[in-house]
Amino acid sequence: MKLALKELRRRPGRFATATIILTLIAILLMFLGGLLDGLIATSTGAIRAQNAQAIVYSGTAQASFVRSRIEPELRAQVEAVEGVTEVGGIGNVQLGARVPGNGPRDLASVALFGYELAPDGVPDAPPFGQAWADETIKASGVEEGMVIELGPARTPIEIVGFVKDTNFNGQSSLWASPDTWRDVLSANRPDAQVGADVFQALVVRGDGTDLPGAIDAATAGATDSYTVAGAVAAIPGVTEQQNTFNQIIGVTLAIALVVIGLFFALLTVERTSLYGVLKALGAKSSTIFAGLVAQAVVVTAIAALIAGALVAVLDLLIPPGSIPLLVTPARIVSSVVLLLVAAVLGCSFSLRRVLRIDPASAIGTTS
Amino acid sequence: MFLAFKEMARAKVRFALLIAAIALLVFLILFQQSLQNGLITGFIGAIREQSAPVLVYSVDGQRVVQGSAITPEMEAQVRTAPGVREVGPIGQGTFTGKPSGNADGETFDTTIIGYELGPDGNGIGAPTTVVEGRLPNADNEAVVSDADVQLGYGIGDSVTLLPGAKSITIVGVAQDAQLNVSPTLFVSYETYLDAIKSVNPDAGTPLPNVLGVVPADGYTAEQTVTSINDQSLDLDALTKDDAAAQTPGVSQVQQSFNIIFLLYGLVVPCVTGLFFLIVTFQKANSLTLLRAIGAPAGRLVSSLLIQVIVIVGAGLLIGTLLYYPVSQQSLGGITLRFETSAVVFWSVLLLSLGVLSSLVAARRVLSIDPIEATTGQGVGS
Repeated sequence: MKLALKELRRRPGRFATATIILTLIAILLMFLGGLLDGLIATSTGAIRAQNAQAIVYSGTAQASFVRSRIEPELRAQVEAVEGVTEVGGIGNVQLGARVPGNGPRDLASVALFGYELAPDGVPDAPPFGQAWADETIKASGVEEGMVIELGPARTPIEIVGFVKDTNFNGQSSLWASPDTWRDVLSANRPDAQVGADVFQALVVRGDGTDLPGAIDAATAGATDSYTVAGAVAAIPGVTEQQNTFNQIIGVTLAIALVVIGLFFALLTVERTSLYGVLKALGAKSSTIFAGLVAQAVVVTAIAALIAGALVAVLDLLIPPGSIPLLVTPARIVSSVVLLLVAAVLGCSFSLRRVLRIDPASAIGTTS
Repeated sequence: MFLAFKEMARAKVRFALLIAAIALLVFLILFQQSLQNGLITGFIGAIREQSAPVLVYSVDGQRVVQGSAITPEMEAQVRTAPGVREVGPIGQGTFTGKPSGNADGETFDTTIIGYELGPDGNGIGAPTTVVEGRLPNADNEAVVSDADVQLGYGIGDSVTLLPGAKSITIVGVAQDAQLNVSPTLFVSYETYLDAIKSVNPDAGTPLPNVLGVVPADGYTAEQTVTSINDQSLDLDALTKDDAAAQTPGVSQVQQSFNIIFLLYGLVVPCVTGLFFLIVTFQKANSLTLLRAIGAPAGRLVSSLLIQVIVIVGAGLLIGTLLYYPVSQQSLGGITLRFETSAVVFWSVLLLSLGVLSSLVAARRVLSIDPIEATTGQGVGS
């Protein structure tokens, strides 16, 4: 193994091209993963933040807030379900927001939520006309204490503070009282307005092994309930995005595996006579193969580190609101681990070739 | 040439691995090209394939049809703007639809686009790509996008909107006319208003989401857009192509895919170039010997280039063959298509880049000095 690492140090040029290719593939993997994470994070934050055992929509809503209506009678049925301890109404409306100081056509996209039970990281609902805002709205120039105007009715909303990771459908979320939400909804979306005490969905806290199932059974299918994770997956497009991206990432990994396999197979062929000499001097096949694996792991690790740094720089360079890239340490680490596994597997293509080398071939073949 | 093929026949595994890598890359590029085009068509096809040359949004709508609302004052400003011949309201909403043609009784997010039908259903905002059946000419009739027929939205089927019992009958099919990657129905404006009332009894009368505008004689769509936007800072008029391209999310999708294509496009020539460079190193002594016994350098280089063309060509062929069956499928509501132009574009580009990348190896071959056969040196030294 020492010999292999020595070769890497003394003849780095030999491995440069493979490192460049693997760097490109690692960038691809991390970029694809970051894109997936960004798309999911900006679409699902408001649901993920819910501290609840069930999210309840009306039976035909297909897990869509705007198509869901929970009347007070239906809510009472949910509240009566065994194991339910707290029930809070929730609703949202997505609008453009005029920000003081921005151009008349330069609006921020927001999703205003009215809520009764505060999600994780969000304080209790502020008084009428005020809202907590997701910090991503700062990119549009919004500051604490600022009054922004929502929708065509230009309903004023004062921003009283900021919260984190609560975006919805790619829009910055605002968290307000139910009255504020109803007022904004009626003024700007008369076609979607709801009566007093009607909410779009319910956030349910309680215990029991299958609270969503118990709620749907108790309402005879008038509700469509999910765990928080289920509600995230049920947001239209989320599961499809995850499946598609994971398939693309899988094939890209397969390409990495083939490239590593190809490179080290060629390298092994090139050094067959050298390995013959090493074997003739007493080196075991396992030692030679371990050297190859070590080289593959080092080359891949270097490529992955360069790629990680480049993707982090790319993340900084991409302006907010353009490509939804989210670079997280977890994604970088998982990509590196997957690449290292691909490197070891790719290297194993050369194992048979190393085992086949006959020490006797060293005699007379090298000078 | 003989030399090139002989060498490939003798080292099948190594050349097969390279072909496999290129084929996988080609497959991924073409698949993602189809995915990108399918996603964008499913996302904004209905905007591209409707009849109004100009669409007017409210600035608040931020170029999302459902997010836009046109007040009566704004509509009056549009109607009086120079260059406007005809104006028609267009409304859009998303509903839960249960098509009668779905054997499993499934329900789907269903987009409904309402427009004023006019005398023959060909009013402002009508779908322009009807390929089967006819346009709606009465309330409760609809034209559906072709991608949705397989879900049970066929001609003669009815769609029930839930909750409630509002039913709409499908009378025609339009090509590439989806919106929001969901089943899309073009109906009369009255049917759209009824649909909203049927699912939400608390609903007030909605404002039109956008206005479809036909430019006056002597005005281009672009001139009409400028004229309307000059009327008010609350109006956001766009040609229909611009409206489609500037729908939020479209440019992000394109930018993201362009970065992915660039990276894949770089990997192919790098892998090809690396492979042939290493192979050239490996056979350095043989090449030197060939030069010493009189083989011209040109023949050795052409042998190398033939190998590159055959290998990249085989990778392209296999990648395209893998791509073909996948391109006939739908993926989560996105209709994929075999993109012939993409196949041609990427084939030419990757073949050219492959040949270009092998020039480094070719340079090594050209630098061989036959005298080195007598000294034991080769191109690898």
